[in-house]
Formats: sequence, C-alpha cells, structure tokens
Amino acid sequence: MTAMQHLALSARGVRMEYRDRGSAGGQTLVALENVDLDVADGAFVSLLGPSGCGKSTFLKIVNGLIRQTAGEIRLHRVAKGREDAMVFQDAALFPWYSVTDNVAYGLVCAGVARKEARKRAQPYIELVGLSGFEDRYPYQLSGGMQQRANLARALAVDSAILLMDEPFAALDAQTRELMQAELLRIWNAAQKTVLFVTHQIDEAVFLSDRVVVMARRPGRIIADIPIDLPRPRALEMKRTARFGEYEDQIWRLIAGDVQNAAKENADG
Amino acid sequence: MPIARVQRALGERLFYGLIGFVGLLVVWETTAQLGLYKKSLLSYPTAIWRAGFADIASGEIWPHLQVSLQEFALGFIVSLAIGIPLGLVIGMFRRVDYTLNGLLAGLNATPNVALIPLIILLFGLGVPSKVVVVFLSAFFAVVVTTFTGVQSTARRHLEITRSFGGSSWLAFRSVILPSTLPFIISGIRIGAGRALVGVVSAEFLSANVGLGFYIGLKGQFLDTARVMFGILIFGLFGLFLGEGVRLIERRFEAWRPSLHR
Repeated sequence: MTAMQHLALSARGVRMEYRDRGSAGGQTLVALENVDLDVADGAFVSLLGPSGCGKSTFLKIVNGLIRQTAGEIRLHRVAKGREDAMVFQDAALFPWYSVTDNVAYGLVCAGVARKEARKRAQPYIELVGLSGFEDRYPYQLSGGMQQRANLARALAVDSAILLMDEPFAALDAQTRELMQAELLRIWNAAQKTVLFVTHQIDEAVFLSDRVVVMARRPGRIIADIPIDLPRPRALEMKRTARFGEYEDQIWRLIAGDVQNAAKENADG
Repeated sequence: MPIARVQRALGERLFYGLIGFVGLLVVWETTAQLGLYKKSLLSYPTAIWRAGFADIASGEIWPHLQVSLQEFALGFIVSLAIGIPLGLVIGMFRRVDYTLNGLLAGLNATPNVALIPLIILLFGLGVPSKVVVVFLSAFFAVVVTTFTGVQSTARRHLEITRSFGGSSWLAFRSVILPSTLPFIISGIRIGAGRALVGVVSAEFLSANVGLGFYIGLKGQFLDTARVMFGILIFGLFGLFLGEGVRLIERRFEAWRPSLHR
C-alpha cells in the first residue's frame, strides 16, 4: 500500500479481553490479540475465519458498539454524519417500521428530521431494488429483501466505510449468490469502502480486493491475501480455475482451526 | 340464501358468536319452561328480560350503573396513568427493578379482597374506597406486564440505535416503546378484567349503591331474574371492554402479522 493512498480505516495493536465468568478465579479470554489492519479508501476487504476468531468482535469495536481493551482504531474523518455504518447480521430491521422508516432510521439517529430522512432514504431504496416496497413491513418481505433494506439503511447515512457483519449468512444458497452479485453492483454505484465479515471462503474471494484471514485462540490475523481477479465480476467467475486456487489457498490456512472449532462445538 | 346474506353482512366472527348466544338463550328458556329445574333458582331469559326492562323503564337501575361505571373508570384510568409509566421506569432501570420487585410481587400475590376491610377503614364506605380497590386490582397487572415488556426488548434492536449513534431518548421512543406496546395492551386487557372483579367484590362487601350492591340486594330477596340482569350487564360491559382493547390493538399494531387474518 502506498503512502499516497488515503486510509478509510487504520487499526493498530487492537486487543480484546473478556473475563470468563464460568471458570473459577476469573480467567481471561483473549478474543483479539494485536490486530493491525489498514483498509484503503474505496477498497472491499473481507475478514474471514472460523467462528470464534473474533472477526465480528473486531467489527463491533470499529463501530463503537464495544470498546477494545487496548489498541487504536482510526477512521477516515468525514465532514458530517458518521464515519462508519453497520449492516447487521440477520437484517435486524424494526418490525414496527415500514421499509422507508427503517431505511431512514440511520439518518434519524444522526438528528435528521423524520420527514427529511424519509426523503433522503428514497434514492437508496431504489438503489437496492426495493422500489414499490416502501410501505411494506419487514414481515411482508423475503429474507433477501430484508437484507436489501438493511443495506440501504447503512448506505443512506453516507458514511466513509460500510461494516458488514455476515449479512448473507441467514439466506438460502441461491439468494445468497444473487445478493453477492447485487452487493458488487451497489458497491460499484455507491463507491464505498467495505469491511465485510464472513466465514464463507467463496463469498470472501468473490467480493473482495483483499481477504484478511483470521485464526482463533487467540483471535488474530494470520494472512492477508490480495485477490487479483478482474472486475466487474460475475457469478460465473466462481467456476474458474483461478478462483478455485484462491479458495484452496485460504482453505489450507484455516482448515485446522475450522476442525477444532467444530469439535469444540460438538463437545458442547 | 338469506342466511348466507346475513352472514356476509355481519362477518363470520359475529355471525357465529350470535348463533352461540342465541342458542344458549333458546336452550335455557326451553329447559325452564319444560320444568327441568326450579325457575326461581336460576330464572330464565324472558323473566330476566321483563325484570330488566321494568328496572330500566322505572329508572331504578341507572344510579347503580352510573356509580359502578364511575368507580371502574376512575380506578382503572388511575391504574393505567400510574402503572404504565412506573412499569416503563422499572423496566429501564435495573436498580429501580431490584428495589420494587419484591414489594410488587408480594402485593400482587395478596388477594385484593383481603385488603378491602382495611381500605374501607382508610377510605370510608363511599365511592373513594371502591376506586382504591379497583385501582389496586388493575394496577399490578399493568405494572408487571409493562416492565416485562420493556425487559424483553430485543438486544439487537437496541444495538441498531447505538450503532447509528442515536440518543437514549430516541432508543426509548423508537425501540423500547413500540416493542413494549403489545405487552402494555395485554396489561390493559388483563387489568380491565381485574378492575371489573374489583368493582363487584368491593360493592358486595359494603355499599348502598352500585351494580354489585344491586345484585347482592336482589339476591337476598330471591329475585333471581334481577340478579341475572345485573350479571348480564357486567358480562356485556366486559365484552365491550374486550372489543375496545381489540380496536386499540388494531390501531397500533398494523406491523404485527398475527392480526392480519
């Protein structure tokens, strides 16, 4: 990365500890250890790793939902509004709000009057392909459409960086692929920096400029792999040999960890 | 088919509800007229109708109705006015919860009827003591359902407001209040029922006016038709209350799928 490039996000020595209440004497669990990460302006970077590697924790620290034990997070300053916006796992829309009010909510949080916020939400509703569904309530939407609204809500606050926490994990396989392609289209149109958390290798390779691979116990970064595939990308690319090579390379990095995680889950 | 037309006009729910009601009246009247039980013990529809009509025409029933309604309305409204805000505060502040929870649970577990003699000593024999009984009867249901609602607000919903930097006040208005609303409405429903029980029990124990008093008095004269008439008024009133709550529910909860049948 050249020094000329602006950084949307810069993390240095981020550490996160939890007190384990279950064990006697209050053992300390290290969820994240010494995480350094730079994300260039406009880049699409994925954090990938098995469950328990601290990838979602890192995202929540960047978002300010939890506070790190040590280390520093620096976000690219913007003139007004928020530096970052979160796209949550399993949609997390308010069931009592219509699509428009849900999409406008980030702006309302920033102090924009409801009427004005609804007006400013409209182009983002169109961008994510929810035109005609403005007045629907979340229960009237499919899982994919809920995720589109979730994405539009984060886009509408016009932050410098978009934080996405396994947004497609709850979708069925076909819808997920469709949403991946849609996300690339929207990312291209909105010109955002994206930090995307996932445990799916093909998803990370398909979407990203860089895949940052994490391991668990303690949660840490073990590799940073540039994905040198041409853009714009279409879903057919997943069937190419080079795509497969990236998948294999990453799988070898995390295979042992994934098996350990699975074993622990099975042991309860 | 005229029946099909009637059904369409009234709606299925009301149509079958009326069938059940009319069916009961027919069975009741028939068994009475056939002499299957002693008419003076349980009365029967046409006698209740005659007695009720007479007391409406003579105006005898109005003061009782008016006083009972007044006691109910005052006690119930005050229980909502104090219970809902208190429930919200208990739900939002852990320490307030810890401080009041034991007290509320204890008072809630005490049968309200047991408190009536004490309340009469404190507030006298008139309307105020009844209002207090009604208030106490409804209050706990309202408080408990409200704070349970606040405490079951989904964490991930609260996280959204924080994530986008919204204020606590915004979180209260846009998250806690709407997600608690179904609980509050349940509280209103349960509270209304308990308040009605409160009116009757207080008036049974000591009163010289009111619908509960009317029922008790007519019972002592073995005038079962009028006893039944009084019970019928309470029943109808309870029914209307339930429908009222349903209307509130529909007005506020368009977003709940279960109500769009």
